[in-house]
Amino acid sequence: MNSNSIPEKELVAIILYISLFFIIVAVALIIFFYFSRKKIIQKELEKIELILRYQKEQLHAIIVTQEEERKRIAQDLHDDISSKLNIVSLNSHLLTAPNLTEAETAEITENIIALTTKALDNSRKIAHNLLPPVFEKFGLSAGIEELCEEFESSKSVKTYYKNEIDFDEKDIDRHLHVFRILQELMNNSIRHGKASEIWISFANKDGINTCDYIDNGVGFNCSNAENQKGLGMKNIDSRISFLQGTIEINSEINKGIVVNFTF
Amino acid sequence: MDDFLIYSGYLILLINLVLYSISFFRKEKANGFFVIYLAFAFLMQMSMELLYHLHYNNLFLVNVFIIGQMILLGLFYNSLIKILSQKIFIKSILSVGILIFCIQFLTNPNEFLKFNLFAITLTSLFCVIFGLLHFYNMLTEKKVYYYVTIAVIFFMLGSTVLYLIGNLTLTLSLEVKYFSWKLNAFLFLVYQLVILYEWKVSFSKKSLEN
Repeated sequence: MNSNSIPEKELVAIILYISLFFIIVAVALIIFFYFSRKKIIQKELEKIELILRYQKEQLHAIIVTQEEERKRIAQDLHDDISSKLNIVSLNSHLLTAPNLTEAETAEITENIIALTTKALDNSRKIAHNLLPPVFEKFGLSAGIEELCEEFESSKSVKTYYKNEIDFDEKDIDRHLHVFRILQELMNNSIRHGKASEIWISFANKDGINTCDYIDNGVGFNCSNAENQKGLGMKNIDSRISFLQGTIEINSEINKGIVVNFTF
Repeated sequence: MDDFLIYSGYLILLINLVLYSISFFRKEKANGFFVIYLAFAFLMQMSMELLYHLHYNNLFLVNVFIIGQMILLGLFYNSLIKILSQKIFIKSILSVGILIFCIQFLTNPNEFLKFNLFAITLTSLFCVIFGLLHFYNMLTEKKVYYYVTIAVIFFMLGSTVLYLIGNLTLTLSLEVKYFSWKLNAFLFLVYQLVILYEWKVSFSKKSLEN
């Protein structure tokens, strides 16, 4: 098989095959890169679209909640305050009528006083529901204590509150978010979870403020994504993102829920 | 030295065949076509070795090997692909390839007894294209058979060049004459080692768990 010279035809064939091979491989690589780039860009766009859609849903949830709040306030104002002030005004007109007996005057004045006291109470209550004065004046810890007391007395739950963090008064805006999150969680525990005991504890772990919230209600199926999409949860998510914190929710049926969030 | 390279290549191929068959029978985790490919490769290598020792010409087996390799790898990647248009693409390329070789065989059967440069180039090219297609699909999904595809592309490119210039080495002196073949045996060894590594990464934990 040893030959001292290779026939020119074979040499040419070899050169042809090698160059053709490399050219075709180069073309294949170029086509590969072109399609890969297109695919990657498309995937990136899809990801961005997903993020945008989620943000839009969050925004929608906030707006809907805002409108509901407004409706509720309007109703509260109308039912509790407007109606009472109406009667006060009527009674005041009665006072201007001539020829009133002492007894009648006394009765009407009593009515006016009672009604205005009640109206004052109700307006205080509405203001308190909107933003508790205790929270505003004395900070997050006192606000949560008062919240727990309220729930204990009116909704018959037992609450256990423990706080190891010294809350800075300057962060009152951020603490408002924490307060609202806890309000929402406790409302959910009562309404949906039918819980009878709630544990709330704040701790500072490795420099990060964490809050652990546990209740003994009926819980929900964690893996069912439907439960995560409720209005309240979306608002909680928005608030967590305002706080630049994280939230983790674990729950099993009949084992209550465990919520840990950082802020 | 050369024998060591060649025989260790065969050994790793045998090990791969055994390991992948085990994975295949355990829970159907390893791809069937890939196991068939390894078995086919082992069979071919052994028969070529046998014919060599019996001093027969084993060049036609080489052609059988590379064409079978192309078909089996094509079927292997075809089974991994989920998009219909790409499946059709692979199947059509395979059929075109087989058609070309049938035509070549009918018109010039002697080519199959020689060193068939055209067959080598074409089959390796197709294998590289299949590998690239698989890479394209793996861009945004979980990587499966990632290292195997790297090995296939690398080995096909390398060994094809070596085969193509194989005929040029006929005029070299005795010591360096078999240089390109030694390099080829080394590439084959690396090829099998990477397939072994793929097994370790993808299948070993699950196989051992069972």
